[in-house]
Amino acid sequence: MTLLGEAFPSRGSASAAEFVGQRVDKLGVVLAALAAVGLLFQPFATLKANRIVSGKALGVFDALPGAIAAPLVALILAAVLLALLRTRPTMRLAVGASALVGVLVVIGFVPAHLVSLDNPLARVAPASGFWILVFAFTILITDPIAKLNLGPSARVAALAAAAMIVGGILMSGLWSGLSVMKEYATHADSFWQDGARHVELSLSSLALAVLVGLPLGIACQRAPTLRDLALPVLSIIQTIPSIAMFGLMMAPLGLLAARFPLLGQFGIRGIGAAPAMIALFLYSLLPVVANVVVGLQQISAGVVEAARGMGMTERQRLLRVELPLAAPFVLTGVRVVLVQNIGLVTVAALIGGGGFGEFVFQGLGQSATDLVLLGAVPTIALAFVAAILMDALVEFIAGRRR
Amino acid sequence: MQSLKSLIAGLALAVAAALPGHADPIVVSSKIDTEGNLLGNIILQVLQSHDLPVTNKVSLGATPILRKAIAGGEIDIYPEYTGNAGFFFNRADDPVWKDAAKGYDTAKKLDYDANKIVWLAPAPANNTWAIALLDSVASANKLKSLDDFGKWVSSGGKVKLAGSSEFVNSAAALPAFQKAYGFTLKPDQLLVLSGGDTSATIKAAAEQTDGVNAAMVYGTDGAIGAAGLVVLEDDKAVQPVYAPAPIVRESVLKAHPEIADALKPVFSSLDLKTLQTLNGRIQVNGESAKDVAADYLKSKGLVKK
Repeated sequence: MTLLGEAFPSRGSASAAEFVGQRVDKLGVVLAALAAVGLLFQPFATLKANRIVSGKALGVFDALPGAIAAPLVALILAAVLLALLRTRPTMRLAVGASALVGVLVVIGFVPAHLVSLDNPLARVAPASGFWILVFAFTILITDPIAKLNLGPSARVAALAAAAMIVGGILMSGLWSGLSVMKEYATHADSFWQDGARHVELSLSSLALAVLVGLPLGIACQRAPTLRDLALPVLSIIQTIPSIAMFGLMMAPLGLLAARFPLLGQFGIRGIGAAPAMIALFLYSLLPVVANVVVGLQQISAGVVEAARGMGMTERQRLLRVELPLAAPFVLTGVRVVLVQNIGLVTVAALIGGGGFGEFVFQGLGQSATDLVLLGAVPTIALAFVAAILMDALVEFIAGRRR
Repeated sequence: MQSLKSLIAGLALAVAAALPGHADPIVVSSKIDTEGNLLGNIILQVLQSHDLPVTNKVSLGATPILRKAIAGGEIDIYPEYTGNAGFFFNRADDPVWKDAAKGYDTAKKLDYDANKIVWLAPAPANNTWAIALLDSVASANKLKSLDDFGKWVSSGGKVKLAGSSEFVNSAAALPAFQKAYGFTLKPDQLLVLSGGDTSATIKAAAEQTDGVNAAMVYGTDGAIGAAGLVVLEDDKAVQPVYAPAPIVRESVLKAHPEIADALKPVFSSLDLKTLQTLNGRIQVNGESAKDVAADYLKSKGLVKK
């Protein structure tokens, strides 16, 4: 009792410091500071005279008419105040979501305010202040989601809701005046083609890595000599820079295709999808094999012993006992590979492999940041969605087993 | 072990089947830069309008990738610059590249003898290295040519030039200018951008990053005017001529001999000013290369449909 009394002194003697300790949310302080910096000291949008020059940075009140800027600032202030106080996670979630949607919607009104119709070359883009606000409110949303300890299906539902909001804004045309969307408008036909190619390359190399990596991992766990040989080799492959790897694939594949025209007919050639896929496959092997080995090793010897005692054959033990128990580890490896591949596919554009990297490298060549973003933002979004879905899947499978 | 082998063989087949196949069509390709995108699309659309089967591999990668690909028969046709042949055949120092006609003939002969690649009729444009200066600086000091520029720099004119490392170091580029026009840029008068793209150097000059007021440019760059720069005249013809020409594998040209006649009028219409304008529409205005190419071909009546 005395212990408790010391730890929590009576209300009567509560000082300001204790009030802060009890009522103020620590993360909220950080987020409030972030939002203040984003709102007060960083530009909300930039206006460029044309596509390739650097722009003029504009604060919220310069970028927007007062009738829109004032309510936005009020919304942000209210959200920051509520974030500072200790409130229920659901409340924080709602506050963060409404502030985030507010910022996302309002940026769409900037182009019409800044650019007149007789100036089709001018570009309006979100600036650092906008991105800081988006970041701060995203944290305000994800923190309570983590605290609520949502199950996998609820997290997927939250992702779907977020996708629907962003998709809705995109479909509404609210953002169509922004520079990235202008790039999209010019590249709309190849955007979806390259997007499909991006996903296709990420997934097909992953599938190939699982098909080869799973048996290889099992073999490595059974035969330590093989493991001591295979894992270092795969680790070395992992350290080859991706541009070099894609380049290295070109020469042997080109020779093969020249020697055996039939292979060329099937698309096994020095340029295009084949070298990209093989390079990605090689990168994917280490995480898959290593996680299979770890997954199998963490199974306690007693479990395997018991299975043997029940009269299971080696094959039965592997399929019914060991692999199911190792599954969460294997899937974690698959998650790593998927996210890694989605990022790495970008470089495939340099050898004609397609994917969102096409826009990144074309944009770099033209010094057109907007075009770079048209490739980079969807890539990040894809990786983000893949990570959430795979996490949910891992947890779903692990949870069902328990 | 046997089953593992057959598994791998099966996988290889499955992968092969899943990837896009390649049959007869002419594989049209180009470099991944602005002009490559434009010229690649022009070639593609002209061949299409002649009802030739084509596969689009436009903006494939950098020059070395394109060379490997066409030598290996993985692409059939792409636009290349006459002056680059000097680098392909290790003859960059040869003065022949400074003459448009002789340079073209030499490139044509060397590439045909070595790789059975045919150089078709080039465009009357020269996308060569040049130095551009901020308009304000140029007019304040009455600088029109590199001759003026050299004298101005030597007498203490305040200049800082942005260029790629290739431009600064390659004997044919800045050192050649310095020698011919009698000026020397000290290391602190240079901003070396390792990526080596002219849009980056133009941007640096336009925004005076780090005090930059001059930039390495290519003759047909679309951004020069929009960035407030003027190109200084190379009155002593120091630079090799880089005229863009479609280059095609001989076997493909033999199968479709009409390619040469189809592209000839199109490329001869692409002079310096035209290329600058078309490149500018892509780079500055942000129009798609495909649309710019289609619009140009249609307005000039160069496509059938």
